[in-house]
Amino acid sequence: MNKCFLQSVSLILVSAGMALAEDKVPLKTETPPPLFVGTPVPINVPNLEPKLKVWPNFEVPAGTVNLAKGKKVTASDSEPVVGTLDLLTDGEKAGDEGNWVELSQGKQWVQIDLEKAATISAVVVWHFHSQERVYRDVFVQVSDDPKFEKDVTTIYDNSAAGKDRPYIESCLGKLIDAKGVKGRYVRLYSAGNTTNKMNHYIEVEVFGKPVA
Amino acid sequence: MPKAETDLPRPEFRPAIPAAFSLLHSTVTRRWLLFAALALFAFLIRLPQLGERPMHTDESVNAFLIGKLLAGDQYRYDPQDRHGPLLYVVAEPLVKLLGAKNLSDLTETQLRLIPVLVGSTMVLLFGAAVDLFGLIPCLVAALLFALAPLPVYYSRYFIHETLFVAATLGLILAGWRTLQNPGILSAALTGGCAALMLACKETAIIHFFALGIGLLCVRLLKPSLPYPPAKVLATMLVIFVATGILLFTWFGQNWSGLTDLVRAMPRFAARASGEGHEKPFGYYGHLLDPLFILVFVAVAGAYAAICDVVSSRSKAGLFIAIYGLVIFLIYSAIPYKTPWLALNLWLPFSLLCGVGAAAFGKLLTKPAARWGAGLACGFFLLALFAQTKLLVFQHPADEKNPFAYAHTSEDLLQLPVRLAELAREKHIAQPRIAVVAADAWPLPWYLRKFSCVGYWQPGQAAGAADFFITTSEVPGPLAAQLQGFRPDFFGARPNVLLILWSPSATHVLAP
Repeated sequence: MNKCFLQSVSLILVSAGMALAEDKVPLKTETPPPLFVGTPVPINVPNLEPKLKVWPNFEVPAGTVNLAKGKKVTASDSEPVVGTLDLLTDGEKAGDEGNWVELSQGKQWVQIDLEKAATISAVVVWHFHSQERVYRDVFVQVSDDPKFEKDVTTIYDNSAAGKDRPYIESCLGKLIDAKGVKGRYVRLYSAGNTTNKMNHYIEVEVFGKPVA
Repeated sequence: MPKAETDLPRPEFRPAIPAAFSLLHSTVTRRWLLFAALALFAFLIRLPQLGERPMHTDESVNAFLIGKLLAGDQYRYDPQDRHGPLLYVVAEPLVKLLGAKNLSDLTETQLRLIPVLVGSTMVLLFGAAVDLFGLIPCLVAALLFALAPLPVYYSRYFIHETLFVAATLGLILAGWRTLQNPGILSAALTGGCAALMLACKETAIIHFFALGIGLLCVRLLKPSLPYPPAKVLATMLVIFVATGILLFTWFGQNWSGLTDLVRAMPRFAARASGEGHEKPFGYYGHLLDPLFILVFVAVAGAYAAICDVVSSRSKAGLFIAIYGLVIFLIYSAIPYKTPWLALNLWLPFSLLCGVGAAAFGKLLTKPAARWGAGLACGFFLLALFAQTKLLVFQHPADEKNPFAYAHTSEDLLQLPVRLAELAREKHIAQPRIAVVAADAWPLPWYLRKFSCVGYWQPGQAAGAADFFITTSEVPGPLAAQLQGFRPDFFGARPNVLLILWSPSATHVLAP
């Protein structure tokens, strides 16, 4: 029995080790060129999210793709002030006029329907990067419920209630670790920014693998 | 025999106030009533929501200087950056009259009431220009000043520009009167207005040059214009020098103001190279009239002004056209450009539009054509008012607004509110606030109600504080001090962020 038990434990450990070692690859995405030269933020400032200068090293399971590309987007503001919601998932991340959608002021959300449930490794969001600004109360949730009334997992929250820190927008976007959460819908909230009260999105990428 | 009816004295149907009635029939009185009504209209347009737009950095600097005067400090002319003393001479008594005793008492509305009053008075002043340019040109210019977005926007801005343009109009009116009918009073007014221009902004030199060129050209075309007598010229000069000395020395209290004025000239000449405010040549043209409708009318006005000179009718139109063209070329050629400088161009531009409109009016002889033109003007004025509503009242600080240049974001208005909230939450009655930033403006205005605020440059040690405010470029030595503080971002202006660092729940404040 002991032998059987040890064999079972060994098998589990080897399988887990293989799973861990096998599939991890660096997450890669194309980032647009910067449109402004921001002030350098020293990395050693406590409590201040360091400003990225290069795309971070972040590993995801092999086969992970951007599931959001070309997918349907809905929003709390169905008639954006500027642009259209499809700009969020069209693959264009340049910060110039015509590439972003502007939702009205106050707390607003956008929601991407991945069409089927997926294991999500990361969400990358570009709100606006042609000037130095910070979006307020950004939080990101994943759910299988399109109304986000049940089984909601919050993967990022820099509002007063959350543990994450506000960050300065840049052309590298904001990489959010989704920790393999499962769900079909991804919803992103914001409540204005430091330049005006409006909400903007250039692109949202959801990296993951469809649930088999 | 009954008396013949014709012999009876006829009843006299005289008005109850005969003097006032005859006054109303006087052309001059009617003209002034008309311009007074326009000035009132301009005042009413400028008045609403005066305190709502965030204070621009320049406004906050001017407000801070008023605060220093209220605190009993003496005004000292700063040759580096602050322009002349006139704004402060006018503002200090007015804000006192409105109840302000110190900087923290001051409000945006009190301060902005000064350009509002001057801008509205300027509309009235066009009534005095009728003899010079004619009724229709002055009416059109007054209407454009009363209604158009550019003059309305900057008549609600606590900077020197509106005062400067009003003094320029004063100089043109008094100067022309002195040339036509030389007298001591008009000469004194001419000298006084010129001194007021210089006491507003050092760029008065450019305008003196452009006015001189205009005068020279008119004289070359029509040499009949007489020279004023020496006594009149001397009066002009004496009043100009005396008023200038009085203002720049702050009524004899600071004589170094005069040498500082001389020292300021090279500084302003160097500044003309741009210093980060470089714009293309056509910048002002776009600001004055993005649709090129008024430009068309102004060009027609310039043509009509030339025709007037050729037919020996009036030289004033050509004078204003040349003055306008020279300052437009100079301001456009100087790399340093800010939108409020366009207000200097708006004066000759609006008068030329008036001359052009009057010329078009003369071409329309048939009633139907006049009605059509009247309707078109009405629609144009409505469209202009809609623009004013949008740019002045609905989106006054929006970065897309061409007049809101490097403007303080509305977001910054939340910073003092948040600070007060946090101080209350943490039971700090008198919060110590350390601002560490290379350029802290307009924070001295927004933190004026907090009594314990210090300002440091990034390299300096700030010491202990309950709250810190930094730019996003947090200086290295301060980083250790910010251990246990939570950052909140605020937009100061487009592309400039400020961080309010407040102690987190677990942080123990340094004594």
